[in-house]
Amino acid sequence: MKDDLAIETFSLTKIFSGLVAVDGIELSIKRGELFALLGPNGAGKTTTINMLCCLLKPTDGTATIMGYDINQRPFKVKEIIGISPQETIISEHLNCRENLALIGRIHGIKAREQKVRSQQLLETMGLADRAKDQVRKFSGGMKRRLNIMMALIHNPQILFLDEPTLGLDPQARRAIWEYIIRLKGEKTILLTTHYMDEADFLADRIGIMNEGKIVALGTSTELKISILEKHTMVIYAWNLTQKVINEMQGRYEEVEVIDGTMMISDKQIDFREIVDRLHSSGAIVRSAYIQEPTLEDVFLRVTGKELRE
Amino acid sequence: MRVWEFCRRNLKETYRDPLALGFLLAFPLLFMLLFGAIFSGDTTPNYPIGVIDKDGTPVSQAFLDEALAEVPVLEVTTYENDASAMEDLKLGNISAYIVVPRGFSEQISRSWQDEEANIILEITYDESDFMATEQIISTINAVTRSFAHIEVPITINANPIHIETEITYIDFIAPGIIIFGLLILIPTSARIIVHDKEKGFLSRLLTTPLRPVEFISGYSLCLVVIAIAQIIIFILVGWLLGMDIVGSIGLTFLIFLLTALCSIGIGMVVAALSKTENQAEPLCWIFAMPLAILSGCWFSLEMLPSYLSNIAYAFPYAHAIDASRAVITRGVGMEAVSNDVIFLAGWTLIIFAIGVILFRRSMRS
Repeated sequence: MKDDLAIETFSLTKIFSGLVAVDGIELSIKRGELFALLGPNGAGKTTTINMLCCLLKPTDGTATIMGYDINQRPFKVKEIIGISPQETIISEHLNCRENLALIGRIHGIKAREQKVRSQQLLETMGLADRAKDQVRKFSGGMKRRLNIMMALIHNPQILFLDEPTLGLDPQARRAIWEYIIRLKGEKTILLTTHYMDEADFLADRIGIMNEGKIVALGTSTELKISILEKHTMVIYAWNLTQKVINEMQGRYEEVEVIDGTMMISDKQIDFREIVDRLHSSGAIVRSAYIQEPTLEDVFLRVTGKELRE
Repeated sequence: MRVWEFCRRNLKETYRDPLALGFLLAFPLLFMLLFGAIFSGDTTPNYPIGVIDKDGTPVSQAFLDEALAEVPVLEVTTYENDASAMEDLKLGNISAYIVVPRGFSEQISRSWQDEEANIILEITYDESDFMATEQIISTINAVTRSFAHIEVPITINANPIHIETEITYIDFIAPGIIIFGLLILIPTSARIIVHDKEKGFLSRLLTTPLRPVEFISGYSLCLVVIAIAQIIIFILVGWLLGMDIVGSIGLTFLIFLLTALCSIGIGMVVAALSKTENQAEPLCWIFAMPLAILSGCWFSLEMLPSYLSNIAYAFPYAHAIDASRAVITRGVGMEAVSNDVIFLAGWTLIIFAIGVILFRRSMRS
C-alpha cells in the first residue's frame, strides 16, 4: 500500500520563535492525486509546502516524498519536485525561454530535450508568441503562467502549486485551472489555495487547514455531506397562497417564503414529494433545486470562522 | 554545467539592466578620471621644501639634484644651515626641510652593495599642515628608497636616477585609488546576491538540486567577470593619465584580481548574513569603510600606531597596496611581493570558505 503514496508526513511541525505555524500534521497523498490544502492566510499552508520542498527544516517530525526523507535526502527530493511559489519568482531580465532553460538545465536536462519541452509548454500555456521577450514586461497573468511552467520544465513527478491563481482575474484563473486539470492523474499535485471554488473545482481530495492543523479531510462531496444535518430545497413558484404555505409549514421543520421563493429545510427532503404536494395544492412550480452546502459552509462549521482572511 | 548556466543567468541579469551595468562600468571610469584629474593635472600640488646637505659628497649631491629635484610635487630650495631653513619654515615659505646627515653617502653605498644600511634623513615639518606633511614624507620616503635600492632586487642594475624620474605622483597614488575602487566590489557583490535573496529567486533555486558550492561559484564567476572589466578600465584610465607600470603588467593584474576576489568574498559573507538589501547596505559599509581607512589608500600606514598597523596588515588591502605600488613604481618582480600575493590568495580562500559555510547554513532554516 505504501508504495502508491507520493507524499507522506509524520507529525510534521514547524515552530517560528514560539509561534506554531504547522502543528504536527499527518498527511498521505497518493501518486497521481491532486490534493488541495484549503485555508485562510496564515493557516500554515505555505510553511507546509516549504518544508516539503526542503526550504525549511521541520522543528519536529518529517515527511517523505516518493519514499525519500526530506531531512535525510533533501537533494534527492529536490530532483523530483517542481514548485511554483506563491510569489511569482522569475528572473526579470531573462526572456521566457531563458527562464525555462535555467531551471531545466539546472535539473540536468539536455539542451535539445530542453528546447522541445520549452516549446511544448509555451504553446500549451499560450506564451509562444512572447517567448523571446524579457519577462519584466509581462502582465501578472503571464508571469503566473511562466511561474507554473518553471515548475514543470524538468517534468517532475511531484508538483507543488502554492496559490497558483493568487490575484488573477477570473479569465486568467480559468486558463490556469484548465491547464492544471490537464495535468491531473499524470503528476502528483499538492496545491494550496484560499479560494474554495478552486479547491472544489480542481482537487481530488481537500484538506482544510486552520491554525497549523488539518481540521477536515476528504473529497469535496464527503466534506459537504459530513456537515449536513439539514437539507434545503429552494422553489420558485406562482400562486403560493397562504393555504399552501400553511400546509407546508405543518409538514416540514422550516418553511420560509421570500418574494415568491419558498425555502424548505428538514433532515429528510424528498424532491418529488414536495413538488407533487405543491402542485396538488394549486401552486405552479417554475423551478426547484436542492441547495448544496459549499466548502465555505464546511469551513465555517469546522473552524467557527469565515474563510476570508 | 549547471554552474555555468547559473553564472550566465547572473551575467544577463546584470548587463541587461542598464542602471546596474552603468554603475559597474561607469563607476571605475569616473572614479579613476576624477582622482587622476586631481593628482595628475597641472594643478598638482607643489610642496616647497628645503634641503641642507651636511654630507657634501657626490652621492648626496646626486640625491638632491637628480633624485629629489626631479620629483614633480616637490620644489626644492637649498639652504646653508638649519637656522635659515627654520626661519623660512616658520614664515610658511617652505612646508618642510630635510637634512642630509654626514655619512649619508656611506650608507647609500652600503645599500647599493646590498649590505645592511641605516639611512637617516632628518625631516622637519610644520605639523599643522597635515596633508602636505603626509605627502611630502611618503614621497621622500619613496624617492629615498628607490635611490638606495631598498627592496630592489640585485639582479636589476637600475640606474637610481633613472628610477626616480619615473616616479610621478599618479604612479604613487594610483594603486591606492584602484584598491579603493576594488573595495567597492564588497557592496556590489552583496547587492547582486541579496537582490536575488530578497526577491525570492534564491529560494526558488534552493528547491532545485543546486548545491551551496555551486551557488557561490555561479555568483563569483559572474562577479569575477565584472571585476576583470573594472580592473581593465582602472589600468587603462590610469595609463591614459600617465601612470607607468614599471614592473610586470601581469603581476599587477594578478594582485588586483586577488584583491577583487577578497572583496567579492566579503560581499558574499555580508549577503549570507543579511536578508534584505536594506540590511546589506549598511553592513557593507561597516566592513568597507574601516577596511578602506586601514588599507593605506587615503594616507600612509606608516603614520599609524603599531597596534593599528597590525590590524591593518591582518586584512588584504594594505598588502594589496604595498604590493601593487612596489610593482608599479619600483618594478619589483614576483619574488619581492610573493609574501603579499600569498597572503591575498590565502585570504581569498578563507573568506570563500566562510562564505560557503554561511551559505550552507542559511540554505535551510
